Amino acid sequence: MDETQDKGMDRRRFLTVLGVSGAGTAALTGCSTDRVQKLIPYLVQSEDQVPGIPTWYASTCTECASGCGLHVKTREARAIKLEGNPAHPVNAGKLCARGQAGLQSLYNPNRVRGPQKRQADGGTTDVAWADAIAELAAKATAAGGKVAVISGAGRGTFSDLLATWTAALGGKVVRYQPFDHEPMREANRQVFGVDGLPAHDFASARFILSFGADFLETWLAPVENQRGFAASHGFSDGTMARHVALAPRMSLTGMNADEWFAIVPGSEAAIALAMAQVILAERSSAPSDATALRGMLAAYAPDQVAQQSGLTADQIRLLAREFVSAGPSLAVAGGIGSQHAGAAQVCAAVNILNYVAGNVGRTVRFGADLDSSDGYAALASLQQEMDAGQIAVLLVHDANPVYALPKSSGFAAAMAKVPYKVSTALVLDETAALCDLILPQSHALERWDDLRPRAGVHSLMQPVMEPVFDTLAPGEVLLRVAKAAGGPLAGLQAASWDEYLKTEWQGVARNRGAGNFATFWVDTLANGGLFDETAAPAAVRLAAGAAQVVGTAPAFVGEGEFLFAPSASPMLYDGRGADKPWLLENPDPVTKITWQSWVEIHPETAADLDIREGEILRLVSESGSIEAPAYLYPGVRRDVVSAPLGYGHTNFGAYATGRGANALDLLPAPNGAGFVSYVSTRVRLEKTRRYQKVAKTEGNTRQLGRGVAEAMALGAAQKGLTPEEAHHEEAGGAAHEINTPRELDAIAGFAAAQKAATLKGNYAGEHPQWGMTIDLAKCTGCSACVTACYAENNIPTVGESEVLRGREMSWMRIERYYEGGHEGEPLETRFVPMLCQHCANAPCEPVCPVYAAYHTPDGLNGQVYNRCVGTRYCSNNCPFKVRYFNWFAYNKKAFPEPLNLQLNPDVTVRARGVMEKCTFCVQRIRGAQNEAALEHRPLRDGDVVTACAQACPSSAIIFGDRMDPESRVARSAADPRGYHVFEETNVRPSVTYLAKVLNGAEA
Amino acid sequence: MAHGYVPAQTHAEVTRDVVATLGAPSRGYVMMLAGAVGLFLVGLFTFVMLLKEGLGLAGYSPPVMWSVYITTFVFWVGIGHAGTLISAILFLFRSQWRTAVYRATEAMTVFAVMTAGLFPIIHIGRQWIFYWLLPYPNQRYLWPNFKSPLLWDVFAISTYLTVSTTFLVVGLVPDIAAVRDQVSGWRKKLYSACSLGWTGSDNQWRHYTRGYLYLAALATPLVLSVHSVVSWDFAMSIIPGWHGTIFAPYFVAGAIYSGIGMVFTLLIPLRKILRVEHMIVDYHFDNLAKLTLFVGSILFYAYAMEYFVAWYSGNTFEQVTFWRRAFGPMWWAGWSMIICNAFVSQLLWFRKIRTNLTALFVISIFINIGMWFERYVIIVSSLSNDYEPFAWGQLNPTWADWGILAGSFGWFGMYFLLFARTFPIIAIQEIKETIPFPRKRGGH
Repeated sequence: MDETQDKGMDRRRFLTVLGVSGAGTAALTGCSTDRVQKLIPYLVQSEDQVPGIPTWYASTCTECASGCGLHVKTREARAIKLEGNPAHPVNAGKLCARGQAGLQSLYNPNRVRGPQKRQADGGTTDVAWADAIAELAAKATAAGGKVAVISGAGRGTFSDLLATWTAALGGKVVRYQPFDHEPMREANRQVFGVDGLPAHDFASARFILSFGADFLETWLAPVENQRGFAASHGFSDGTMARHVALAPRMSLTGMNADEWFAIVPGSEAAIALAMAQVILAERSSAPSDATALRGMLAAYAPDQVAQQSGLTADQIRLLAREFVSAGPSLAVAGGIGSQHAGAAQVCAAVNILNYVAGNVGRTVRFGADLDSSDGYAALASLQQEMDAGQIAVLLVHDANPVYALPKSSGFAAAMAKVPYKVSTALVLDETAALCDLILPQSHALERWDDLRPRAGVHSLMQPVMEPVFDTLAPGEVLLRVAKAAGGPLAGLQAASWDEYLKTEWQGVARNRGAGNFATFWVDTLANGGLFDETAAPAAVRLAAGAAQVVGTAPAFVGEGEFLFAPSASPMLYDGRGADKPWLLENPDPVTKITWQSWVEIHPETAADLDIREGEILRLVSESGSIEAPAYLYPGVRRDVVSAPLGYGHTNFGAYATGRGANALDLLPAPNGAGFVSYVSTRVRLEKTRRYQKVAKTEGNTRQLGRGVAEAMALGAAQKGLTPEEAHHEEAGGAAHEINTPRELDAIAGFAAAQKAATLKGNYAGEHPQWGMTIDLAKCTGCSACVTACYAENNIPTVGESEVLRGREMSWMRIERYYEGGHEGEPLETRFVPMLCQHCANAPCEPVCPVYAAYHTPDGLNGQVYNRCVGTRYCSNNCPFKVRYFNWFAYNKKAFPEPLNLQLNPDVTVRARGVMEKCTFCVQRIRGAQNEAALEHRPLRDGDVVTACAQACPSSAIIFGDRMDPESRVARSAADPRGYHVFEETNVRPSVTYLAKVLNGAEA
Repeated sequence: MAHGYVPAQTHAEVTRDVVATLGAPSRGYVMMLAGAVGLFLVGLFTFVMLLKEGLGLAGYSPPVMWSVYITTFVFWVGIGHAGTLISAILFLFRSQWRTAVYRATEAMTVFAVMTAGLFPIIHIGRQWIFYWLLPYPNQRYLWPNFKSPLLWDVFAISTYLTVSTTFLVVGLVPDIAAVRDQVSGWRKKLYSACSLGWTGSDNQWRHYTRGYLYLAALATPLVLSVHSVVSWDFAMSIIPGWHGTIFAPYFVAGAIYSGIGMVFTLLIPLRKILRVEHMIVDYHFDNLAKLTLFVGSILFYAYAMEYFVAWYSGNTFEQVTFWRRAFGPMWWAGWSMIICNAFVSQLLWFRKIRTNLTALFVISIFINIGMWFERYVIIVSSLSNDYEPFAWGQLNPTWADWGILAGSFGWFGMYFLLFARTFPIIAIQEIKETIPFPRKRGGH
């Protein structure tokens, strides 16, 4: 017995990382499809690889700019799942759907498999890395300083190296992210004189007011926002925050608001200023320097603003009073879906609102300095240079401006004038398609790297496996070019990118006074980075520009009766999600549409124009037109049409290319603005009378009083009422029992007899009974759990044609129900994560003729794939409709190489003709039980975490043993808000839902 | 002796006319057989494609996990009920009018059940292991689940197939012997073997009639039980629209209704093709039509009761299901079923219609369509909007659904037509029993 075993296998030990030396990567064994031809047992067992036991590595997510920490689960030296790093300050162990789908970016079958060179005929040919690097070195040095780089890489050592490298060549770097927060930065400069993005503390805000900021989808750090939002807005200890959303379209964020006001587009700034005016007029406690704004704000009295905003003056006053009395409150602005020409003024007005309400320094914390790029202005000036022929060599890294900018911007034409263009694209995208040399980068999970997404957060990435393809870390490319070029780049002499990064980190270690670098390095790697955020926010005061904020609505271009307000897709983000089947098949949380783009139109407008769902509508602006099927959405203003961003790729791999319409085609050129105004044009709507079935997963949008998604008013929840009692109270009477005492006795007797029957045979004895609670007051419908479930359980994506037949396989689906919305009532949205309820009295079990559906002693509703013959009776008899059938051999189509490497070896890949469904992650249950058995201890509460519960950014899902009265799941299920769906069927589900709590306006 | 109809033929003429149906096939017959084989090949091709690609070729749209195949299964099981009703129950009731038609209906029963028996195999996800539904000893100690109505189905259908086949074969023996005595060559050898040494001795007749009576008594409860069991496939579930106590009698009535409908559809043309118009006459059809009217009225009542109970129960799930059955996306199917079954059958109150073969034929087509739609409506419309509104979905059948449906008609038609030319489609000996023995004028 060696020392390790004596100490016992601590799970944490598996997080211990490789790579104490640069040679660490060499220890990572084969997972590249090209190289492994045979299964060979290890002759000499690698120290860190135990077959069948996962190895975890800490890393950082690169799917958006927020820089969440990752724990990468690897098995037999291949990454199989991404989870949040609990130690990371941004996401605290949680991860969104996009972050989890990063795995499909690693294993994307459309990845560029090796360096390629453009031929004269437009095609590409493979080249050797050495030749490619020599060519780039020659071109770069010969360019005479006319070198430019567009980089989407976050702030970190690589960005620093890139800056040094480019500067040495005499060129310039433009850091560019399409979903940047330029209006916010502009507003911060104007109002506070601070060039940076603050952190927002949703967790301590008691009143959250969103001026079109989709903070649950794409705004700043969505996972962190959602975590905070769930903490404050989820009902706990008898209280919750109130959330009001103001936007012409109800985004997912708007759906989670207690009230949504469909304000007139462009009136956000005026409303914010009017609220500030009310606060200053009515409160004496506002910061002293804010009183100077009284004069400027006088023009925005609620009565004046009301006419142009869609709100009444009283509503504005009420909002203002609530906003200031809730304290601390938080107003947020700057979402992509509300980014019009006046967006910077909206953010500025909201800054003033936060300032006068005393939120700055409390819920709005400057000094966090969230990473943001150089903005569109810098890219626009580079475009002018390219257009003028002043750029000889262009390097594009982690950016796809040809797609992400409206066609009208003319970027592609300008880029074409650059004689030599290089891309490091993972997948050949629209920009890479114009490039002369493609130097495919290693994915973030295949390379060393780091990011500094905000002040004090220094997040590391490390290779968790050998590169899948013949790729190199971009930093390695820069260093090799430097070596090959010499001359101006001679200063950059590191043996390798790994060495370079570590040298930088030796500096970090020295600054922190770490004695032994080797220990520091291993500890930091295992931790995922260095996280020492300062608690105290930087103090800011109003700057002179604050008085110049104006609340006038922007002018919209073009004619047409509809304003076009595209929405930022929470799945596809800026378009980079469109090549990942997990994200295409995970329904859009708002519309529940998969694999397609759409045009949202209000049902009443549609009725006026005789438009039915699925009619292909043509939207025509002065800059272009798009066609997409109509989706009737009650959450959009009658004078607005909306379409999602991120679709309509023309060259982005097989999954994305030609899928849907690119909403950017409608936008006019963003001339002179510092950012792209997504809401800028009016459109004409043309009916085509052609129809297309919409690939949506929703059946009926209303629950017809069936109690699937229960909700109650805050008052009722505070009184500790059950959902049923709350209904009775609402109906104006006390809860009354309809059964006589004798009937109640009989029912109780029957229940006791049933319970006794469940304790016979295999079911007798000390078995846990697995159960789950889902708190609908916390669930935001973000659908991170859905992708987590796909990843954990090898669920195949079935594609558009199968979704059209309702054959999606998502074991976990987020149901979205509307309430109200008729005749001026407010429209309320409720989300219900629906999964197998593991009924104690499961109707699916007795109907299976071959016992493929059976009940395990620990309360799971098991499904034996091997035994299943596929009669599908179980699915018919399931009231929740959570059983999924393999109509075709989906497993053969869903995982083209190398996507098959993502499969979880602990979970069967189901074949054609069998039924499958949620297993409560039985592999995790058995894994935890085995681990506990090896350590000779009982299983503890919290040892088993299902994939959905692990991912949930709101922590709405709790899993555990219901029989243990001390377990979190038993205690939460005892909440008076707890209810079972379709209780009247007596199926006795193991999933308890906690009713949503509605924090309505105080009258 | 008999009231009602007495054939105006002698015993010898009956034998002659029936044996004549086994002679050289007419053009019409050959064309019909070719059509049936063609349809069967369509079904076979579809089945091969299902095996190759998967059940997804059919239009299944969850939550509608059962659709055209189970609909057609129940349809054929239902068809199979009229035969035994006519041959066994009416035999026990001593209804003379059954004699001319019972052989054809019994053959129809056997072939319809043979057709239905294919569907549980076609419709499952892994057709190649269909035998896992059967209880057989195996090393893995695996046993089927006797709680599952699907397993009851397996037993009900196989029992029914066994008993009705036995009943048919036993009834055939004396007739085959009669044919044997009329033919020569290889046919004589064939019929000799099939007649099992029947000589027509008193002793044989004594045993035969006893045995036949017992078989009839055995088969009788099956008429009621088999379709009751089939109905429990649905009634034992918790799906609104399926979960009804009325289902067993409702399904049995429907089965008999559809079966007699099919009898009309088959016999009206067949008596022409086989030139036995003088043996199967208005009298038989009139009586069959009266039976149709009776069971059709039971169906009418059952339909009304389903809607009444849905309303009266106050159960919102039932109410929504039935509301959508009448006014939802599948309203056309719902109304097809009610009009074709409940209303069209009421036309049979009129004797003129009951004895007009053209009208009866048209009505029988309506009955066939109506009864197919009845099962389609019960299965598909109930599944498409059950408990969970968010999961609701609509079925869109595809070519693979229709291919198997067509194939089932081909498979059935093929056997029926072959039978009709190989064995006496009219029961010689039973017809003879109804003919008074020749007596001298002024007898008794």
